[in-house]
Amino acid sequence: MGFFMILFTLIGGITLSAQSSINGTLSQKAGTIETTFLTFLTGTMFLTILILFFGSGNILALLDAPKWQLSAAFLGTMYLLLTIMAVPKIGVIAANIAGIAGQLIIGIIIDHFGWFNSLVIEFDLKRAFALLFMLISLYFIYKGNKRLNIETNTKTI
Amino acid sequence: MRIIFYFLALLAGAALSFEGGIYAELGKTIGKLETSFYNFFMGSIIMGLIWLFFGKGRLTYTLEAPKWSLLGGALGVVYLTSIVVSVPFVGVGITMVAVIIGQLAMSMIIEHFGWLGSKKNRINKEKVFAVISMIIALILIN
Repeated sequence: MGFFMILFTLIGGITLSAQSSINGTLSQKAGTIETTFLTFLTGTMFLTILILFFGSGNILALLDAPKWQLSAAFLGTMYLLLTIMAVPKIGVIAANIAGIAGQLIIGIIIDHFGWFNSLVIEFDLKRAFALLFMLISLYFIYKGNKRLNIETNTKTI
Repeated sequence: MRIIFYFLALLAGAALSFEGGIYAELGKTIGKLETSFYNFFMGSIIMGLIWLFFGKGRLTYTLEAPKWSLLGGALGVVYLTSIVVSVPFVGVGITMVAVIIGQLAMSMIIEHFGWLGSKKNRINKEKVFAVISMIIALILIN
């Protein structure tokens, strides 16, 4: 069961990459804001069907939920909007690597302080090295893209 | 100039982490699928308003666009659902590692072959190093 779940999650990651490139493509003709809007709109439609059949929670409890929890929707919107802006400019790999780095850095900070009732996991040497490797990764992706640009530019000249 | 877009992508990831932390709490009271629904529903409203006031593109293009390019929303739902379903079975750590590895592998393939309308960019050794460094970072965190 565990193996099957990991496979399923891998597919989740694959769809996230596919989403960023598909949206990047659509945004070049339809516009960034329009693409983000459309993604949320169609996502809502699919989830409405899913909830009607498989939802086991209580959607009305939203009205009683603390407002700071509800404000996360602005973050979700920001994520999609920024990704759609970045992909056409720096490519799928660079946008995904930078996004993952941002995610892990904030994840480490949230863990360290135990924000949002999360488990407290303190920042240690291992995580410091993890941070270092992330920076190395960002450096490589930036350098790799820069070289590629120089190559294409010389070709056009 | 281009470096700004790296920062924007970093910021996008940061937003995703905050979002994840907060939604985990919300999910406890209203349910996980309901939380995803709330995210997409509110996102539609926020983006609808932004579009009304600041939209400069062409929304009607969606009617002419190839149908596969409209699948972004559906894929986002698959992503969210896969996480929601697998976390209780294998834990957050392994789930995130699997998601990110899937994401990295797929981005490499997409960009190398220029799939899904993205610009075709050959994989070079810098990009392979970047992915390897990211995987090492992931292992160190968990």
